[in-house]
Amino acid sequence: MTPRMLEEMRRLAPLRGYAAALAAVALVSVVIGAIEARAHIANMSMLYLLAVLASATLLGRGPAITASIASFIAFDWFFVEPFHTLRVADSNEWFALVVFLITAVVTSQLAADQRERAREAADRARDATLLFEVARVLGEPDLDAALAAVAERVRKGLRVAGVVIELENDGVGQRTSAGDVAVLAGAEIGSLAAWIPSARSATGAGARWIRVMDPHGSNISTRDERVHAVPLQASGRRIGTLAIIRTSPEPRSADDRILASVATQLAGAIERARLRQRATDAEVLRRADELKNALLGAVSHDLRTPLASIVASAGSLRQTDVRWTDAERESFLADIEHEARRLSRIVSNLLDLSRMESGTLHPERSWYDLAALIDDVVGRLRPVTEEHHLEVHVPEDLPPISLDYVEIDQVLSNLIENAARHTRPGTGITVSARVEGGEAIVEVADDGPGVPSDALDRVFEPFFRGSFGGAPRGTGLGLAVARGLVEAHGGRITVRNRPEGGAVFRFTLPIEQPAKPRAAATAP
Amino acid sequence: MSPQTGARILLVDDEPAIVRAVRANLGSRGFRVDVAGSGSEALEKIESHPDLILLDLGLPDLDGLDLIRTLRSRARAPIIVLSARGAERDKVRALDLGADDYLTKPFGVEELLARIRVALRHTLRSGTDEPVFRARGLAVDVEHRRVTVEGEELHLTPTEYALLTALVRHADHVVTDAMLLREVWGPEFGDEDHYLHVYVARLRKKLERDPQKPRYIATEPGIGYRLLTEEA
Repeated sequence: MTPRMLEEMRRLAPLRGYAAALAAVALVSVVIGAIEARAHIANMSMLYLLAVLASATLLGRGPAITASIASFIAFDWFFVEPFHTLRVADSNEWFALVVFLITAVVTSQLAADQRERAREAADRARDATLLFEVARVLGEPDLDAALAAVAERVRKGLRVAGVVIELENDGVGQRTSAGDVAVLAGAEIGSLAAWIPSARSATGAGARWIRVMDPHGSNISTRDERVHAVPLQASGRRIGTLAIIRTSPEPRSADDRILASVATQLAGAIERARLRQRATDAEVLRRADELKNALLGAVSHDLRTPLASIVASAGSLRQTDVRWTDAERESFLADIEHEARRLSRIVSNLLDLSRMESGTLHPERSWYDLAALIDDVVGRLRPVTEEHHLEVHVPEDLPPISLDYVEIDQVLSNLIENAARHTRPGTGITVSARVEGGEAIVEVADDGPGVPSDALDRVFEPFFRGSFGGAPRGTGLGLAVARGLVEAHGGRITVRNRPEGGAVFRFTLPIEQPAKPRAAATAP
Repeated sequence: MSPQTGARILLVDDEPAIVRAVRANLGSRGFRVDVAGSGSEALEKIESHPDLILLDLGLPDLDGLDLIRTLRSRARAPIIVLSARGAERDKVRALDLGADDYLTKPFGVEELLARIRVALRHTLRSGTDEPVFRARGLAVDVEHRRVTVEGEELHLTPTEYALLTALVRHADHVVTDAMLLREVWGPEFGDEDHYLHVYVARLRKKLERDPQKPRYIATEPGIGYRLLTEEA
């Protein structure tokens, strides 16, 4: 169907009711004529009331009154003597005709009233349903999804071509359009034009669009599209606009009422979302601030201590008025190297921590023999643990585990270094692994003083440093990094104190079913 | 001092302190050091045919990996990549693109000298294929498919034997996971997630007396493995 034909039909739509009313009257006239031809029946004119009643019920007030008058004329013309004139010979007939007309008009009024009331009730039911649905979808936590859902509900509920919800610049986030703004911006849409941004600015920062168009919307001529906009207001401030774009030119007052209700609900929801967002932002800022302060504390102490000893050693070596012995020179140099390596480890941990905080940690997994990894780490850390009795208990039959070697190496290294740092020389450290309940469990147990009970649930927090019987040791980074890495693998890390003394750090790694390895050219 | 004395080394790095330290250390051991502060300078200086290239991956002007590709197409000198910790993926790609070895910054002078020695020795030796490989008690007789440690014969599965010979072929050089997969399982396995590490762990169990102090097969975390012919 071409747009022109559609338009024509819309324009003629109101006239159809009148035509139908006249057709009903003509039909009744034919029926009466047919009956009169056989027998004379009194008060045949009552049949016309059927046409009037039908018109009033189905077509409305105007067509019903038209039907009343047409019936009056038709009856006079066809069935009151003299026939085929509007003159009436018998004054009794006059009386009957006038009574008929009054009856017809009153009937049509009553029926039409009834019809309008039914229609209003239906509208109210529809509005109530719509408002309920709007309230329900606005309960959704994601505001953008909620707005899109509201737009769609309103479009369907009010049977309009398009719905626009615009939020002004100070919106929640900077999400831009959902919907084809170009079509809308190209339309002649009167009052809305002032606040419809061009397609370009809509995709930039600033205004946000949510718009729903009828799938056939692009077929509707935009010339007679009518835009009806209501402001969204919260705390006395305009925060946006709700607009409907309709194809029929006449906005109904009922729509105004419901638009106002939807606008109130929308404004409330948007305001709530903004307040929520602000609270979240504040919380994020507070946590970032906390982390920054902890970082500054760590940097000021942990970075400056090694730096101070490097600067002191290097400065000493450059003294020209002192003659150092070879042993002294060697000791300064060893200090410089040792402290520089410590700085390097701190920086590595800081980098890992920042990768975790920014969420850019993605383990590169492959299948590994956990026992070999433990052997490698224990062997490499021998210099750190040489003053402790280190034991390793790993069963022969551990299944292969999918893990990122570098990251789990770091987890285990941090746990072993932590144990060595917090226990006295000469005590024992035990590294063990086993499989239990579908996961691999790795434990690092020591014979030290254990973790104070008030610190048990804080040791994995960044920059938390235990000061167990002395000055704080370490950077407070190792365990936090270990936790981040283990969790990135889908595992858990915990600490407990053994009843017989000493702390046990434990982490788990899920054991996945390995994908069946393809048959190798040379099977083992 | 050593047979490589006098070898010409091209150092590609833009960090003055590193350049100074490396130049002083290598110079005092008889190496002749040429320095390029950028990728484009490196491409110019490659024309003078250095014996070895030390390449920092983080250069101001060119992508380090692209540079390796170009250098490889124009020079056969071994390339040792210098890069920061945490950049394992870059190191693996550098090695797969044809770099011979890598050093993680910060590195010690001893480490640097050891890597340079290995790389230069490999250049001298390349081309000679001896039927029996011997290093510190380990002997791999390719002709008879016999592997012995301290004279004691090992019973290796075909996969373990293939892994060992692949490592032997690149003795003292790091071999990436992808290289091992390709050499042992064939080219179509180059990128596949596989039991490679599990097989290497089994081979090591048979080869090593003390798994915590591996004598022969060293793990390069996140990169691959290296067969050691000298005491670490």
